[in-house]
Amino acid sequence: MTAEGVAKPRPPRPDVRLDDGPMAPVECSACGACVEVRKSSWDQTSIQWHADALARCEERNNPLPRTERPNRNAFLGCGKLKESVREAAVRGRIEIQDEDPLKINPEGHK
Amino acid sequence: MTTSKNETEVRLIENDSLPTRFARGWHCIGLERDLADGKPHQINGFGQKLVVFAGEDGEINVLDAYCRHMGGDLSQGTVKGNEIACPFHDWRWGGDGKCKSIPYARRVPLRARTASWPTMVQDGMVFVWNDPQGNPPPADVTIPRIPQVAAENWTDWNWTQITIEGSNCREIVDNVVDMAHFFYIHYSFPTYFKNVFEGQSAYQYMNGDGREDVRPPKPSKSNPAVMGTTSVAAYHGPSFMIDEVTYHYEDMDVDTILINCHYPIDENNFVLMYGVIVEQKEGVTAEEAELMAAKTAKFIKYGFEQDVAIWNSKAPIDNPLLCEEDGPVYQLRRWYQQFYVDVEEVTPEMTERFEFEIDTTRPNEAWRAEVAENMAARQAAQS
Repeated sequence: MTAEGVAKPRPPRPDVRLDDGPMAPVECSACGACVEVRKSSWDQTSIQWHADALARCEERNNPLPRTERPNRNAFLGCGKLKESVREAAVRGRIEIQDEDPLKINPEGHK
Repeated sequence: MTTSKNETEVRLIENDSLPTRFARGWHCIGLERDLADGKPHQINGFGQKLVVFAGEDGEINVLDAYCRHMGGDLSQGTVKGNEIACPFHDWRWGGDGKCKSIPYARRVPLRARTASWPTMVQDGMVFVWNDPQGNPPPADVTIPRIPQVAAENWTDWNWTQITIEGSNCREIVDNVVDMAHFFYIHYSFPTYFKNVFEGQSAYQYMNGDGREDVRPPKPSKSNPAVMGTTSVAAYHGPSFMIDEVTYHYEDMDVDTILINCHYPIDENNFVLMYGVIVEQKEGVTAEEAELMAAKTAKFIKYGFEQDVAIWNSKAPIDNPLLCEEDGPVYQLRRWYQQFYVDVEEVTPEMTERFEFEIDTTRPNEAWRAEVAENMAARQAAQS
């Protein structure tokens, strides 16, 4: 209860799936932005950005020309960061929450 | 043999109390063409009764519906000039909330001011600003423009309003991350699904295949088979979603823009509105485009009715048990929370950019098998 006697809303809980594997830091090889990543499979990716990473990201700061479409001017995500996350997964630097172990190749992506 | 606690323990559904306030933000309350007709309109919203009216100057105003004189209901009154006149004693209230005149009085008493709500008219839609703290709308809290509304080659709004009883409006917001329900409830077949939350917006990028088991058995020009859809949908603020959907037909693509928006009546009821505009492609007549908008609206209505059937019997759940093929329900609710706390208490966690892309491999395998089963059953029934 706050001073005014109004019950504060309880903050939302963390994702239950984080119990099986937390977010892990990944640095972008292009700009050095550091984000938190979780992969449950080869094709599932969660990325938590913070203000400093967004400020660093080159693709973010060089937006595409604006369109007349209301929803098409948002930043879709960084391609370079996507490559860095993929590399981290291939090299086994981030864990993948999957029953079947992925065929990783630590020597690949050189 | 022993079983661990994890295998025997029953998971309990947790249900926190509903929020005690209504979301801060712009809420669409309907179309200008309906509300600016020179008559007062009653809106039951945000736990209150409001009156919406446009005077001779065409400006749309939203006031508390109860006259501060003796409590008359202004929404039952009459628009006179630029003011709303109370049906009880003809007190005249301006859009700024001030009593402008009392025809039978020598002067208006002091403090003759009622609550007026900030309003905005954009792309044919009327918005009111709700803020439990009473602050005016900040300049950077906006709704994206939809220039297609005014374009000649797009239809006018096909607009529908329904009241949803017995559910808190947060249920509908969950849909933005709920990939699997689009297959099970809405006859879609998502093949790509990604959410991005940042600032005041929550995006959903979804591509889908057409489902053979829900296609018309004999597609025709007036009833063509949808081969797939490409959709970019986003909540801008707590209650207003724009969804740009392209329907892929065998011979052409059709672009549509849908609105899915709501305002709370109270904690357990809300008004849901949806609007459609359709691009009139070359070779398509205005009538055909209008027909397509009407058909799309009908299909959306059907979809919401299916949602409502689920909401009417489901339990509120604050600790959903998720599999890895589900979307970011918890992170969406973290984003949504920003609209329910004081603006000073919005944390970076609630607004910082979060991306979540689902791996659709396994869901698509399962759904393909289910569609094939449905087709086999259909063929067996026909022979």
